[in-house]
Amino acid sequence: MIKLRKFGMYLFLCIVSFISVFPLYWMVSAATNKSAEVISGRLIPGTYFLENWKNLMAAQNVGRAFGNSFKYAIILTIVSLIVSSLAGYGFEIFHDKGKDILMSIILLAMMVPFVATMIPLFQMFSKAGWLNTTIGFILPTISTPFLIMMFRQSARSFPHDIMEAARIDGLSEIRIFFQMFIPTMRSTYAAAMTITFMNAWNSYLWPKVIMTDSLSQTMPMVVANLTEGYVTDYGMLMLAVLICTLPTAVVFFCLQNAFAEGITGAVK
Amino acid sequence: MKRKILAALLASTMVLSLVGCGGGSAETPAADSGAAATEEAPAADSGAAEEAPAADAAAAGGDETLTVWCWDPAFNMNAMYEAEKVYQKDHPNFKLNVVETPWDDVQTKVTTAATSGDLSTLPDIFLMQDNAFQKNVIAFPDVCMDLTNSGIDYSQFAAGKTAYSVIDGKNYGVPFDNGAVVACYRTDLLEQAGLTIDDFTDITFDQYLENGKKVLEATGKPLISMQAGECDLIMMMLQSAGSSLFNEDGTANIVNNETLKIVMETYKALKDAGVLTEVNSWDEYVGDFVSGNVAGTINGCWIMASIQTAEDQKGNWAITNMPSLVGASGATNYSNNGGSSWAVTTKCANPDLACDFLASTFAGSTELYDNILPSGALATWAPAGDSNAYGEPNEFFGGDAVSAKIVDFATKVPTNITGAYYYEARNAVATAITNYINGSDLATELQTAEQTVNFNMQ
Amino acid sequence: MSKSKKMTLSKKQNLTGWVFLAPGAILIFIMSFVPMFRALVLSFKSGVGANMKWSGISNYVRMFQDTVFVQSIKNTFFYLLIQVPVMLILALILASILNNKDLKFKGLFRTMIFLPCATSLVAYAIIFRSLFANNGLINLLLVNLGILDQPYAFLTHTTSARIVIIIALLWRWTGYNMVFYLSGLQNIEYSVYEAAKIDGASAVQSFFKITVPLLKPTILLTAIMSTNGTLQLFDESVNLTNGGPANTSITMSHYIYDMSFKYVPNFGYAAAMSFLILVLVAVLAFLQMKVGDKRD
Repeated sequence: MIKLRKFGMYLFLCIVSFISVFPLYWMVSAATNKSAEVISGRLIPGTYFLENWKNLMAAQNVGRAFGNSFKYAIILTIVSLIVSSLAGYGFEIFHDKGKDILMSIILLAMMVPFVATMIPLFQMFSKAGWLNTTIGFILPTISTPFLIMMFRQSARSFPHDIMEAARIDGLSEIRIFFQMFIPTMRSTYAAAMTITFMNAWNSYLWPKVIMTDSLSQTMPMVVANLTEGYVTDYGMLMLAVLICTLPTAVVFFCLQNAFAEGITGAVK
Repeated sequence: MKRKILAALLASTMVLSLVGCGGGSAETPAADSGAAATEEAPAADSGAAEEAPAADAAAAGGDETLTVWCWDPAFNMNAMYEAEKVYQKDHPNFKLNVVETPWDDVQTKVTTAATSGDLSTLPDIFLMQDNAFQKNVIAFPDVCMDLTNSGIDYSQFAAGKTAYSVIDGKNYGVPFDNGAVVACYRTDLLEQAGLTIDDFTDITFDQYLENGKKVLEATGKPLISMQAGECDLIMMMLQSAGSSLFNEDGTANIVNNETLKIVMETYKALKDAGVLTEVNSWDEYVGDFVSGNVAGTINGCWIMASIQTAEDQKGNWAITNMPSLVGASGATNYSNNGGSSWAVTTKCANPDLACDFLASTFAGSTELYDNILPSGALATWAPAGDSNAYGEPNEFFGGDAVSAKIVDFATKVPTNITGAYYYEARNAVATAITNYINGSDLATELQTAEQTVNFNMQ
Repeated sequence: MSKSKKMTLSKKQNLTGWVFLAPGAILIFIMSFVPMFRALVLSFKSGVGANMKWSGISNYVRMFQDTVFVQSIKNTFFYLLIQVPVMLILALILASILNNKDLKFKGLFRTMIFLPCATSLVAYAIIFRSLFANNGLINLLLVNLGILDQPYAFLTHTTSARIVIIIALLWRWTGYNMVFYLSGLQNIEYSVYEAAKIDGASAVQSFFKITVPLLKPTILLTAIMSTNGTLQLFDESVNLTNGGPANTSITMSHYIYDMSFKYVPNFGYAAAMSFLILVLVAVLAFLQMKVGDKRD
């Protein structure tokens, strides 16, 4: 009976995983085929990978775009995690009526489609001279209601008694945050890091508005460039998309143990 | 207490300094590569110009660099690089900074800049889809420069093409690529039905339907596939009879448009007979002829580049003109789909240079058009068509001199009116045709479409 | 004496809290609320392109006369009502299975299930379109299995087009939500489950009695985020169906985008429609907070 249930569980996981991974398999195999083969639905890997690679490198400055994307994503992730977790912590640990209301108001900030606020934001940024700069890329998304709320929700399980004990020991609030909260909440930080990195890496609408020269192009822009011509080379496109997907996958793979394997016992 | 605030302050300064670093590091690569590759230098220049208009004027004196936005490295970007070479012969200091920007992004950037009233981010020249030209000039009158008296001889361009970028009698664009409609067929498949390419030349849609049935019977393949929900073929058919979705005065011309009714009925007849099949997406549309699921297609001549990716079908394709509508006044076998034109922005610091550059290249150099012909960029500039290069046979299309043929087609395309609300009207008609095919009443659907367009124009 | 000292302590703590949240709150204020306020002002203006004039509430009246926009509201709610609950339940189940200590290849399973949301939109749109194409894999399977006589045009029929969008959303975002549950589950001591097992609780019972209540803060977070995400749904509508057939799968954000960048731009009207989305999400989020944000 237990064995049967276990078998069912694995079967379910295998089916879900297969469905999840199949399109990725398709993408990898498409990157090794000719455009005409991709478009006529060939599923088996081919021998055209090197050609696609050469074509892609000749058509687009992938190295520069990759470097740009990487730089923006890393800086944004680090700054964003610090600012947002500080705020989430502040909202929950020191919560009172005023802060709860402010939290609800802050949530409003994510509920308007970006299309509506993009133009006023662009005006501000072009006046400030931030077009084509890293700060222009990252500033609007450093502090997001989503991350603040995420840290606020998880701070709810941060044990108050430990905090009280630390206070009695004379630890300053900021040290409690850095020395106790951050290590305890490692799983939340890891999850937040994965998500933030992914969003930064894939962000497109805002960068395409403020990045106007070819030096600041990012990976999603390179992919967009490849889809725009009269003729789309699907093999080359899929290779670019594959390169664009890898970093997020790697980040997830490296961080997943931190948020999924229990680190219980570290503080509790 | 004090210590805690200090600590908090420290933390926030740390964050700020991190942000500061970010800003700093962004400038370094720009400066670096500016020094490394002179071609990139203008990017840094225009960046400086944004902050100080005075510098802009100073730059105009000595600097002969223009920034251009366009989107296809193999096609219009290549054309710009070739134009740069041609122009550099007489102007050794001339330089172009071509920034690859997909059309959707060009539109987003132009809209954002114009709406926020800050045009400094725009380039000197950008490429614009012909269908969007009227909309952008009318919605953002400050963006494009009036080129009527810029020294460009518009009489040498095909009239149907120039009309896209003429607003209130003024020219705002320099025509670039040709969107003349070609009908492409798989001759090997036609043969199986006992037909040749001549049976498809100068025909009507009635004959097309009859031929299509024969091909379907003999090969099991439809003559053509079209993307559902995008009314490309509808628009091509409409223009082939010189009809538009708008009247001269800008009002919608849908309900009382007899030609549109004929177009809709013809389209449905093709679909019902199975001669035309609808697919879901562009990829599927291209996939259909690349993998031989259909016996042909009708589209702007630029589609031939995609057809030629099916290397195994070399020699099996032929092109001719499209069928004409039956019963429509002014029906012809010629139409247009797609294509784009160059626009000069009002932000351009050196308008004389930009105009002279365009006048002596895209509107004045057979050499340029000869050089870019291999990339598939066909001229709408009449003198280019006389060049020998256009008579070269194309082996993929059975050794036919396709380029000369297309340039000839282009001169016969009836003029139509795009209007500012082109995309709204197009979407409304696409909705109408979808519902009509699924069995709704045509008159009611057209009525709804016109109401939708009128609502959008309010 | 001791009372007043306590007062200052709580005041002090209160102040510390404000200092902690200040950088984040100030950034949100400048980067979101200032532009939002400008957009709000814009929503009371109307006109073509940069040429805007005051028009009172006419934009807000107009949107309810706009048949395409009304259709887009209906479509969006259709997605919301079906997709969000299904996705969150599926994500919860997957997370609790993957939290099982005895499970083998956990890391592999987790990565595979997460990967869809890391996939670039371009790739995934092309893949889904080709899977559901007339001669795509799905049709091929269904015809060969004898379920269909001839290929079915999934993306050009209203109901099937909407279902494809929902499937695509489930595929893309279930693993994403699973991540939050997995990280939330770390705050539940595993011994609680073991104790429950000893007490004879079944897996299903401990799921409802332990997992769900203890994950409530995280469930609330994901519910609000998914509601927000679905009401602002854009990518799938644009890339999979292009709103078709005949606008029956278009979403609100897609229409707003068209109104801003494809059609003759009327940013006042686009802003007004955006604020309707804000109101809708805010109401739903408020209800969810009422139900789920109690501190026990």
